[in-house]
Amino acid sequence: MRLNWLKTSVAAATLVAAALAGTAHSDAQDKFKIYLSLSYSGNAWQSEAANIVKALAATPPYDQQVELIENISGTDPQAQISAYESMIEAGADAVISFPISSTALNRTIKRGCDEGVLFFMYDATVTESCAYNVSYLSSGFGENTAQALVNELGGQGKIFLSRGVPGNSVDQRHTDGAMSVFSKYPGIEVVAEYYSYWDDRTTQQETAKALTAHPDVDGIWAQAGEYGAIQALLDAGHALVPMTGENSAGFRLALADPDMQAKGLKGVSAGSPPAQSGYAFKLAMEILTKARELAPQNIEYPLPWVPAADVKVCAGDSYEDGCNVFPPEKVPSSFVSEVLNPVLLPEVNVESALNGTPVAGATIQPLPADVVKASNQPGINCDPCDAPPDMYKLTKVEATVQP
Amino acid sequence: MTNDLRQADTRFAQAGDTRTSAKVSRETISAATVAVLCVLLLVGARFVSPALGSWSQVETVLILGFFLVVLSFGQGLVILSGGLDLSLPGTITLGGILATGWVGTSDPAAWYLLPVVLAACGVVGLISALGIIWLRVPPFIMTMAMSIIVASALLGYTNGSPRGAAPYVAVALMKGHVLGMPVPVVVLICFVVLGWLFQSRSVFGRYVYAVGTNVEAARIAGVPVTFSRILPYVVSAMCAGFVGIALVGYSSGATLRMGDDYLLPSIAAVVIGGSSILGGRGTYLGSVGGAILLTTLGTIISALGFEFGLRTIIEGSIVLVALLLLREELFKKLWSIRR
Repeated sequence: MRLNWLKTSVAAATLVAAALAGTAHSDAQDKFKIYLSLSYSGNAWQSEAANIVKALAATPPYDQQVELIENISGTDPQAQISAYESMIEAGADAVISFPISSTALNRTIKRGCDEGVLFFMYDATVTESCAYNVSYLSSGFGENTAQALVNELGGQGKIFLSRGVPGNSVDQRHTDGAMSVFSKYPGIEVVAEYYSYWDDRTTQQETAKALTAHPDVDGIWAQAGEYGAIQALLDAGHALVPMTGENSAGFRLALADPDMQAKGLKGVSAGSPPAQSGYAFKLAMEILTKARELAPQNIEYPLPWVPAADVKVCAGDSYEDGCNVFPPEKVPSSFVSEVLNPVLLPEVNVESALNGTPVAGATIQPLPADVVKASNQPGINCDPCDAPPDMYKLTKVEATVQP
Repeated sequence: MTNDLRQADTRFAQAGDTRTSAKVSRETISAATVAVLCVLLLVGARFVSPALGSWSQVETVLILGFFLVVLSFGQGLVILSGGLDLSLPGTITLGGILATGWVGTSDPAAWYLLPVVLAACGVVGLISALGIIWLRVPPFIMTMAMSIIVASALLGYTNGSPRGAAPYVAVALMKGHVLGMPVPVVVLICFVVLGWLFQSRSVFGRYVYAVGTNVEAARIAGVPVTFSRILPYVVSAMCAGFVGIALVGYSSGATLRMGDDYLLPSIAAVVIGGSSILGGRGTYLGSVGGAILLTTLGTIISALGFEFGLRTIIEGSIVLVALLLLREELFKKLWSIRR
C-alpha cells in the first residue's frame, strides 16, 4: 500500500505527459491509443500478464498501429477510478485492465463506454454490462479441482484449504465451488482453512503452522501459492499428499518429478492464466481494426487443466508439441505457466512473458472466430442476474468415488 | 561533623542506586515475563490440538520466528537510538533479489558474494542514516522513502519477475541439519547471543543507549554521537538483508513483496519486549521474547477452528493484553508494593 501514492502520482504524471504528447505529435493520431491499467504489480502473475500485452503491442503489425500506455494504480479502487477517468479524458480507444473491484469502477466504465472507449477486463471482472470481461472465473476452477482431490483421496481424508485473499469475490467463488463438492462427502474433513494471499511464501508459512496442529493431513486444496504447500510438507519431514493448485512452474515440475511422486505427490495443476490479458488485448484490437464484430459480453477463457501425467517440460522457448512447463534454468518456481497459449497467442514466448519483449520475426495471427460466452456469475460478472442452475457442474473431471 | 558525614555516607549507601538497578531489573523482568508467556502458550496449546506443544511445534515456531528475531535486533537498535526503521520491506526484498539474481545456484562457491549483498543493504541503511542526521529528515519519512525507492528500483530492475533461484548456502541455512538440530535454530541461538552481547555488553551498544536517552548529554559525555546514530541503521539494514537471504533459502525464490509482512511485527516485537518506542531503553532479549511470542501466537491461533476474522481479533487482543501487562507502570507499582 505504501507504494500506492507514489505509483499513482507517477501514473498521473505519465497520463498528463501522454495527453500532452498526444496533442503535440500528429503521428500519434493514426495510432490506436490503448491503456493497460493494472491494479497492482510486484507479483509474477501481474507482471507476466502485463509483459505479454507489451510484447504483443510491439509485434508487427501492432507496433505500427498501437500506442500502448501502462498504468499501475495500486490496490485502492479510488486510484483506479481516477486512472480510468484520466484515460477517458486523454481520448483512449480501449482500456485493457485488471480491475481491482467488480463493482466500484462501474460508474466510470459506463461513462467511458458512452464516450466510445472499449473496456476489456481480464481475469478479474466487473459487473458493468458495457464492459467485456475475459475471464476463466466461470470455468469452474473450485469444483473441478475439489473433485479431482476427492477422487485422489478416495472420498476419505483430512484436508487443508489454502485460500486467497479474504473478502475477495474470486476467492469466494473458488471456495464456494470447492465446498459444493467437499460438502457432499461426509468422509472429507476440512481440518484447517487459512488465507495465503495467492503467495508462495505465505502459503508455505501458513501451511507450516497448520501442519503443527494437524500433522495427519491427507490432502491439500490450494489456490495460487501451491508450491509453498509442497515446501512446507518437505520442511516438516512430512510425506507429500495429493494436492491441487494453480499453475506455478514449481508445482508443475514437482508433479512430474518421480522423486516427489515417490513421496506421495499427486494432483492437478489448474487455475488463473495470465494469458487472458493477451487474449483480451487481441480481441480489442480485432474490434478496433474492424476485423471482428462483437458486442460487450462475458467471454470465457478455458480452464487450464494439467494432471500430473500430462506435465511435459519444454525444450524451447514456447509451448510446442504439447509441452506445458519451462525448466528451472529458464524460469523461477513462481513463474505462472499458463501465460502462453499456442492457439490464442502463438506470437509470444517465455522471454516475452519475463521481459515484455516481442519475438523476432513473429507477426500477429488472427484469433479463432468463435468466442465462448461465459455463464452468469452474480456479483462477479453481472448484477443483478441469476446464476445458472448448474453453476457448479463438473467440466474437467468426473466423480470416480461416490459419497 | 565527622559523625554527620559518616551518617550521610551510610544513608547514601543504604539508598542504593535506584536509577540504574531498578531499570535493569524491570527490563529483565519484562524479558522473563515474555518468555514465561511463550511457555504458557505452548503448554496451553495442547488444549487447542493434541499435536501442539510438541518439540516439532517448537521447531516450527523457531524457524518461522527466525526472520522476526533477526529483524527485531536491527529494529530494536534503531528504536533504542531514538529512531524508527520503516525501510525493512524494501531492504529485505533487496537482499532476497540480489541473492537470487547475483548469486543464485550458478556457482556453489558464490557464497562469498553474500557479504557483498549484505554490504549493499548496509548502504541503504547508511543513506537513511545520513538523511536523518545531516538533512534532518524525520526517521520515519526518510526510511519509508528509502523503502519505496528501493522497492520501486527493484520492480524496474526485475521487470516484475525476479529470476534465479536460491543460493545453496541460503538453502543450507534454512533447510540443513547439524547434530540433529535444524541449522536455522542453531544459527538463531548464536545470533541471539551475539546480538545480546553487542547491545548490552559492548561499548557500541552502550553508546546507542546513551544517544537514545539524550543526544546532547551523550555528546558532552564524549560519545561519538554521529557514529552511534548511523550504526543502528546500517546494522538494521544488514539484518534485513540477511532476512532477505534467509527468506530466499526458506521459500526457494524471491518475490517483490517478500518484505511487506515483516515491518509492523518487527516494531511490535521490540515494543512487546519492553523497549521504549521513544528510545534509550530496552533489551534485545526482550525483543527476542516478543518475536517468539508473536510467532507462537500465530501458530496457535491458526490452529483454532474459528472464522478468519475472529482469529485475527483474538490475535490482536492477546498482543494488546501482553503489551498492557508489560507496561512499565505496572512493574513500578509491583516494585513499590514489594517494598
